Amino acid sequence: MTATQNPPPPPATSTAAARTVDACKVYGAGDTLVNALDHVTVEFERGRFTAIMGPSGSGKSTLMHCVAGLDTLTSGQIFIGDTDLSSLNERQLTRLRRDTIGFVFQSFNLVPTLTAAENITLPMDLAGTAPDAAWIDTIVSTVNLGDRLKHRPSELSGGQQQRVAVARALASRPSIVFADEPTGNLDSRSGGEILQFMRTAVDRFQQSIVMVTHDPVAASYADRVVFLADGRIVDEILQPTAEAVLERQLRFGN
Amino acid sequence: MLKVTLRGLLAHKVRLIATAVAVVLGVAFMAGTQVLTSSISASFDKVFSDVYASIDVVVRSTNEIETPFGSQRTRISDSVLPAVEAVPGVDAAEGQVVGQIRVLGRDNKPLVRTQGPPNFALNWLTEPALNGWTIVEGAPPAGPDQIVLDVKTSKDGDFAIGDTVSVAVSTGVNTYRLVGIARFGRLDTWGGAPAALFDTTTAQALVGEPGTYNWVSIAGDDGISQTELTDRVAAAIPADTEAITGKDFTAESQDAFQKIIGIFNTFLLVFALIALFVGSFIIYNTFSIIVAQRTRELALLRALGASRRQVLGSVMLEAFTVGVIASAVGVGLGVLLAIGLNALMQSIGFSGPDTPIVVPASAVISSVLVGTLITLASAVLPARRAATIAPMAAMRDVATESRGLSRRRIIGGAVLLVGGAASLWFGLFGNSDSGLQLVGLGAFLVFMGFTVIGPVIAPPMARALGAPLARFGGVSGRIARENAMRNPRRTATTASALMIGVGLVGFIAVTAQSLKVSTVEAINTSVTAQYVVNTDGFGSTALPISLVGQITALPEVSTAAGISATFANIEGDARVIIATQPAAFEKVVAITDVEGSFAGLDTNGIAIPKTMAKDKKLAVGDSLAVNFLHGGPSSLVIESIYDTKFPIQGPGYFISDELFAQVTPPDQQTVQSIYIDLTDTSAAGVAEARVPLDAVTSAVPGAELQSLKEFTKAQTDQANQFLVIVYVLLALALVIAIVGVINTLLLSVYERTRELGLLRAVGMSRRQVRSSIRTESVIISLIGTLIGLGIGLVFGWALVKALYDQGITSFAVPWVQLIVIVALAALAGIGAALYPAWRASRLDVLQAISSE
Repeated sequence: MTATQNPPPPPATSTAAARTVDACKVYGAGDTLVNALDHVTVEFERGRFTAIMGPSGSGKSTLMHCVAGLDTLTSGQIFIGDTDLSSLNERQLTRLRRDTIGFVFQSFNLVPTLTAAENITLPMDLAGTAPDAAWIDTIVSTVNLGDRLKHRPSELSGGQQQRVAVARALASRPSIVFADEPTGNLDSRSGGEILQFMRTAVDRFQQSIVMVTHDPVAASYADRVVFLADGRIVDEILQPTAEAVLERQLRFGN
Repeated sequence: MLKVTLRGLLAHKVRLIATAVAVVLGVAFMAGTQVLTSSISASFDKVFSDVYASIDVVVRSTNEIETPFGSQRTRISDSVLPAVEAVPGVDAAEGQVVGQIRVLGRDNKPLVRTQGPPNFALNWLTEPALNGWTIVEGAPPAGPDQIVLDVKTSKDGDFAIGDTVSVAVSTGVNTYRLVGIARFGRLDTWGGAPAALFDTTTAQALVGEPGTYNWVSIAGDDGISQTELTDRVAAAIPADTEAITGKDFTAESQDAFQKIIGIFNTFLLVFALIALFVGSFIIYNTFSIIVAQRTRELALLRALGASRRQVLGSVMLEAFTVGVIASAVGVGLGVLLAIGLNALMQSIGFSGPDTPIVVPASAVISSVLVGTLITLASAVLPARRAATIAPMAAMRDVATESRGLSRRRIIGGAVLLVGGAASLWFGLFGNSDSGLQLVGLGAFLVFMGFTVIGPVIAPPMARALGAPLARFGGVSGRIARENAMRNPRRTATTASALMIGVGLVGFIAVTAQSLKVSTVEAINTSVTAQYVVNTDGFGSTALPISLVGQITALPEVSTAAGISATFANIEGDARVIIATQPAAFEKVVAITDVEGSFAGLDTNGIAIPKTMAKDKKLAVGDSLAVNFLHGGPSSLVIESIYDTKFPIQGPGYFISDELFAQVTPPDQQTVQSIYIDLTDTSAAGVAEARVPLDAVTSAVPGAELQSLKEFTKAQTDQANQFLVIVYVLLALALVIAIVGVINTLLLSVYERTRELGLLRAVGMSRRQVRSSIRTESVIISLIGTLIGLGIGLVFGWALVKALYDQGITSFAVPWVQLIVIVALAALAGIGAALYPAWRASRLDVLQAISSE
């Protein structure tokens, strides 16, 4: 972002939307010490859809939270684009989340007192910048929400709420979107729709997306699946199918 | 179930803090008031029993008048003494002379302030059995130029034996030689009040009349009871005198004092109850929110087989426990408060000599009872709501309060408002004996009505108030407004607590402003004098009558008229009567003759105001039965019915100064104020006259020369002082209301943890979070303040209309003051949000978004 970054980024980073270098996250101490992330080095390419999978406690959520600037590492580095997150203070991290990152959570994605439209433009409103009306229209029509914009979250179905959440995540043209089990609370049809929208965003708008999931079907929408176990990257699949992912999961025993 | 309750209590003890604080503060106020007044009262009981300890029987006149300063009696002649002394069993009998003077310091200013205890003049009793004083230094007073001071006065004035001491009395300033310093029992004063002692003849000349006593004190022989001796004395004294036991005499003085303390006590208790009333809103809100947040837990209990009664009991038990503990803490705090205030009062000289703190059981019991009952009563509705939670609710997901804005709420609120307005109206205009209670009930009903209807009007108010904030405050302003609207009941209850305090402040501000404006207007339209001489003394410590003559004699002065005040029974009731030089008075104050002639008042006549003549259907020529303490006619003819805008103390009876001189003893023949009309009334003439006027008045201790403007200001300043006291007392209710706002915000923040986490995750900065909570708080505060001020305005208007006949003729709104109140409310809102906003901004984002 700025010209005076140090250390200077290695040339290889130019294709990564986000990456980690030797990321470690340790919880507790002594007997109760847990290595949630154990020297993880991974890249999430620009314009691609990456899924993170792994059994419970494998560190996949921790990895996502750290990369998204919601949590901090014990050691190692994380870059969003060329920005080293460890060099940012609380305020800069908040601004980074607001301006360059989009979020979709499993549930409770929306502010209940704001309408769907207000929820979509929330990050821009927080920044005090005017949303790009044409772009918002494009997203809203992509996620099929046209007639629902004036409604409050409580008047929307679960699927519709997640669509609003996806629209919000895309609305500020973030350099990367993080989705944490975005279909975990939905029936398969609504879930499929959400995944399809995310796929479309990658294909049509070259959006970078990182999604944590433990559903092989959901993972099959991604370009690449990264497998985590005990805080380490243990495998990855490119152009995954649901069957291949399931087979790999079974092999790792979860 | 008990176990569940107690676990529940421990689990949300933090949430109950606000409830506890509200109860503790209210109860502390209530208990503190009672402990303080009981202690003062006990201290003065002891003072009186000390002062009168040696007296077995008192002989006094039967002729008395009840005045606001206690009962006054005619003096009795010293001829009663030989008769009393001859009664078998009487060891000693001596006449007591008591009056008020002002001992002057070396700077020629009174040593004792008028707000403090009175400065007494006493005669030195020569009978050792009756004299409680002992000489510490020097000798007893003997001779017309000798004075003895108590230890405290001699210390305060830095007087030594042989010094000259000046004393201001009704006739002017006298000087005496200090011959002795005395102590009363173990005390440095006459039981708290400073005293000067003279020989009997000197004391009579100074504050009484030659040959008379205020009463005769009698000490009996050993072995004879007070009652026995009283009976014997009673048989030997003239018809217009009576004998009572020393015990009864002491009890009378104690009762008289306790009556005053009782009024003070009631006055303070009203504010304590207001504070507790405000507190009840906080308690109600806390329990409502806790019940809402525990819906699933309570539903689970119901599903597992707990009966409704058990759930209800569980919440009530929780309330009971909080109520009792908080009340107990409140009583403790109240006692500490009383100790502190007592020390403060002692340090400024307003109290008895050694005031022990008395904690009456009744104060403890009533405070704990009221505190607990208010907590229980406030928790009843939330508890009932808890009991009606269906077991199915355990399975449901959301646990928020219902938005029941039923028609019933509007109707109920309207009924309360109409009832309150009616009660207020009848209280003010209905000529009912219980007018004050009706007004109080009306206020209570109106406040309750707004509380019931609050959830209906709070959202539109929040929308309107939040509009500019939402517009300029960006998304955090919009979220704040929505949050203030999302739970109307919670917002309304929180605002209501503030509404009560602000409503009362607004009401008092409007009334006071109207009173002020009316007074200024009345003085400006009625007083044609350019200068006024005033004093803070009363009766024998007011201005000498001779001052009127001295001022009139000045070449710059055209007319000067003095006003004196005395008490008399008129048609059986004790009344204030004003005396003046009628013809002169008409030249300094605009008086219109409605019937008869005011200027022509003679020594048989009395003047009454037009309104009284109308109310009592009196006409010129009618006579009124009167009884002056010190003789004079037993009936007076109405010679004048007048009309004036001049604000007169009391009902407005006027008599001439000649009659005044006949019916008051010499020491009471003083003037309260003198109105001066100059020959040259041009601005320059008025300015020049100040010097000679000042020369005459500055020689009189306690006299204050005021231009008409200064006089007007002094009149309104008095009201301001009282206002400040009332505001300070209401401050507690406001503080409790602010605690309520803090509490509601904290509970809301707690409830919205996930939402806040989400907002923070998608990029809301800590500053924006804080600003959002602050804005919400300001909106809630402003809702309460605006409704409160509206109520205050209407109440004030009604009272002013009702008091039209009492001289409040203008309705005036202190806009600046009201705007300041609104600004303060907004500031208080910001202040209340400080901690909740800080908490909200410090939420761990990760924990918040992953919390259930």
